Amino acid sequence: MPPTQMPLTSNETASNGSASNATSSGASAIEFDRVSFSLNGHPLLENLSLAVNHGETLVLLGRSGSGKTTTLKLVNGLLMPVEGEVRISGRSTANWDPIRLRRSIGYVIQDGGLFPHFTVERNIGLVPRIEGWDRPRIDARVRALLALVGLNSELASRYPSELSGGQRQRVGVARALAADPPILILDEAFSALDPITRSEMQKEFRALQQRMRKAVVFVTHDLREALLLADRIVLMESGRKVVNLPAEEFSRSEHPLVRAYREAFSAPIEMPTEKRESQ
Amino acid sequence: MNFLHFMSANRQQVIELTLEHIQLAGIATLIAAFVGIPLGILITRIPSLSKLIIGGANVIQTIPSLALFGFLIPAPWIGERASRLAILALALYCLLPLIRNTYAGIRGVDPAVVEAGRAMGLTDRQLLFQVELPLASGVIVAGIRLAVVLSIGLATIAAAIGAGGLGEFIFRGLAMVSNQVILAGAIPAALLALAADFLLGLLERRLNSFWLKA
Amino acid sequence: MREAHQLRRRAISACFFVLELALFLPVTGCTTQSEHIVIGSKNFTEQLILGELFAQIIEARAHLPVERRFYLAGTFICHQAILSGRIDIYPEYTGTALTAVLKQPPSANKEEVYRQVEQSYEKQFNLTLGSPLGFDDTFAIVIRGDDARSLHLQTLSQAAAYTPQWRAGFGYEFMERPDGFKGLASSYGFHFAEPPRVMDLGLLTRALVQRQVDLIAGNNTDGLIPALDLFVLQDDHHYFPPYEAVAVMREEMLKAHPEVKSALDLLAGQISDDDMRRMNYAVDRQHRDASAVVREFLSERKLLQSN
Repeated sequence: MPPTQMPLTSNETASNGSASNATSSGASAIEFDRVSFSLNGHPLLENLSLAVNHGETLVLLGRSGSGKTTTLKLVNGLLMPVEGEVRISGRSTANWDPIRLRRSIGYVIQDGGLFPHFTVERNIGLVPRIEGWDRPRIDARVRALLALVGLNSELASRYPSELSGGQRQRVGVARALAADPPILILDEAFSALDPITRSEMQKEFRALQQRMRKAVVFVTHDLREALLLADRIVLMESGRKVVNLPAEEFSRSEHPLVRAYREAFSAPIEMPTEKRESQ
Repeated sequence: MNFLHFMSANRQQVIELTLEHIQLAGIATLIAAFVGIPLGILITRIPSLSKLIIGGANVIQTIPSLALFGFLIPAPWIGERASRLAILALALYCLLPLIRNTYAGIRGVDPAVVEAGRAMGLTDRQLLFQVELPLASGVIVAGIRLAVVLSIGLATIAAAIGAGGLGEFIFRGLAMVSNQVILAGAIPAALLALAADFLLGLLERRLNSFWLKA
Repeated sequence: MREAHQLRRRAISACFFVLELALFLPVTGCTTQSEHIVIGSKNFTEQLILGELFAQIIEARAHLPVERRFYLAGTFICHQAILSGRIDIYPEYTGTALTAVLKQPPSANKEEVYRQVEQSYEKQFNLTLGSPLGFDDTFAIVIRGDDARSLHLQTLSQAAAYTPQWRAGFGYEFMERPDGFKGLASSYGFHFAEPPRVMDLGLLTRALVQRQVDLIAGNNTDGLIPALDLFVLQDDHHYFPPYEAVAVMREEMLKAHPEVKSALDLLAGQISDDDMRRMNYAVDRQHRDASAVVREFLSERKLLQSN
C-alpha cells in the first residue's frame, strides 16, 4: 500500500508499540493534559490525562455514560475541552484548523455511518476527493483499501443498503483509512455485529494494526474485545479515569471495578430463575 | 359535451390562458423556491431563527388568499400590474411549504451520517451540498410539489384581480351564467394541477427510494 | 450504476431547465400583434352592447377578425387586461377613468375631463381614447313623468322646492358614496321630510312607479326610463361628473392597424342617451340578443357599409 503525502505521515517503522506511555520523545500522537469537559453544567469528563503514541492501541473501556465517546470527540475537535488541553502531534486542538485536524484522523463508528446515497467506492474515496486527489489515484487507493479490509472489488459500485452489517463495517474502516491518517479513532465499531462476524473483524483489525502501526483509540464496553485489541486499557467510570494499564496487567488487576468487569464477563450463561422452574 | 366544442372553437384563447396560468404559477413557485429553500437551510444552521421565520410564513399563509391580493393592490409598482401582484402573492403563499419542508428534510437526515461527515472533516458547505441536501431532496421535492399544486389552484383566483390565467374563464362564465365557459377554465386548471402533482410525485418517489437507507 | 444514477439526475435537471425556459417565454399579446383584434367589456348589459358595437363595426369596416372577451368583472380587471395586452379595446366612461383608474378628484366639465383622461392615458399607459360616443352614463335623478309635466319641472334646482313633500329612494352605494346622496342634497338644498328609503337597485324603479317613492337615483341610460314614462331631471349645477362613453385602445395595436381607429371613429357622437336607453331596454327587458340589437342599430344608421 503506497504511503501518501499527508500533513502527518503515519509512522511505518515499528515503534516499541505497547508498554511505554512515556512522552520522552515529546511528541505523542495524542495527549490529554488534565482535561475536563461539561455540558450545560453537567460534568462529563474530569481531570483526564493520558497519552497515545504512534503504533499504540489504547482502548477506552467503560459503561455507557462513563465518558468514552466524549473523550473521542475531544480528539478530533468535535468538542473542545473546558479545562486542560488536548494535544494532537504536540499541538493543542485549539490551535488546529478543525477541518485539517479531522481530515488527519480516521473515524469509525458503529454501523459505519456510511453515506447511504454514495456507492461504496464514493464513500471510501470521500476524503481523498475533497483533498483534491486526482481520479486515477483515488480509484487505485479505493481498490487497495477494499483488498486490505477483505472485500470483493465488485462491491465497489454497490450501495450501503445492499451490504451486510459486517461488510458495511469493513467499508467504514476502509473509509477511515482512505487518506492514510496517522490517527484512528473507533467508537464501538464492532458492537453492532453478530458474534461471529465481530470476532472476525477483531482479528482482522488486529492484524491490520500490526502492519500499519497507527495511533489508535478504540472505545468499547466489551472486556474481551479490549483485551484482544489493546496495548493499553483505560477504564473509565463517571467521567473519570479509574485505571490506565497495559493489557496484561489489566487482566490481572485486583482493582474492585476491574474485578467487577471481569466477573461480569466470565459468568456462565444462566437461565433466569422463572424459566427454570416452569420446566 | 358542450364545453369541448366551446374549447375547440376558442382554441387560441384556451391555449393562451393556459400558458398564462402556467407562467403565473411557475414563476411564483420558482421565486418561492429561490427564497424559501435557502431560508429553510438557514434556519437549520441558526435554529434560534426558526420560530420567527416559520412563524412568519405561517402568518402569511393564514391570510385568506383574496385578502392578500387585496392588500397588495395599493402597493407601488407591485399593484400597478396585476400579474406582478399575483406572482408576488402566490410566491408568498408558497413560502411556508418550501421553508418547512427544507427545514424538516435536512433535520430528518440521519444524525449519525451528518456527524460522520463532520468528523471526517467535511466543511459545512460540503456537508450541506454533498450530504444533507441530497438526502433531504425527497422531502424538499415534496414541498415543491405542494407549492406547485397550491399555486396552480390559487392562480385561478388571480383572475379576480385581473391577472388572467384560466380563472378568467371561470369568472367570465359566472357572470355570463354559462357552464361551458366556466368549465373551459375549471377543467384545464384541474388537469394542470393533477398533472403537476403526478409528475412531481414520481420525482419525489424516485428520490426517496433512491436515498432510502437500509 | 453510478452512471445510471448520474444520467437520471442530469435528465431531471434538464427537464426543469426546459420548464423554466418555457416559463420565461413571453406569452400573450405583449409581443407581436396578432392578426385579430380582441375586444373586452365589463359585465353589465350596456357594456356588452358597446363591446358588440365596436366588434361589429370593426368587422364590417376595418375587415379584421374580432375576438370577443366580454363579461370581465369590472374596471380594474379591464384596465389590467388592456395593460398586459390581453385585450386591445374596451368601452370605458370618462368619469370612471378619471376617478377609479387615474385616482383624480372628479370634475364637472365634460371637455376638461375628456382631455385630462386622454392625455394621462396616453402618457402613463400608452392607451388612446376614442371620441365620445354621444351619451353620458352618469347618475340620473328620476321622477315620474306625470309629476314632471304637472309641476313643470325640468331641472334639479326646480325640483328642490318640492322635496319636503316627497319621499326619496336610493341604492346602497349611492347612499354611501361621498359624491352620492349627501353631496347631492347639500348642493341643491334638498330637504326630504323623511330619510331616504334604501333598497336594492332593481326595486327602485318599481317603487317609483308604484308611488312608494317619488324620486330615485338610477343610471342615465337605464332602458326603463322611456318605457315607464319616467323623467330625468337635468343636473343644472353639474353636480355629477360626466361619464361619457369612449373606446379605450392600445396604441401598439393601432400602430399595426390604424384602420381600427377610423372604424371606431364612425361611431363618434352617434349614440344619444335615448338610443342607449332603447338598446338597453331591448336586451335587458325584452331579452333580445345583444348582437341582433346592435346589428339592427348599425344598419339603421347605415354604418355597416362603406359609401
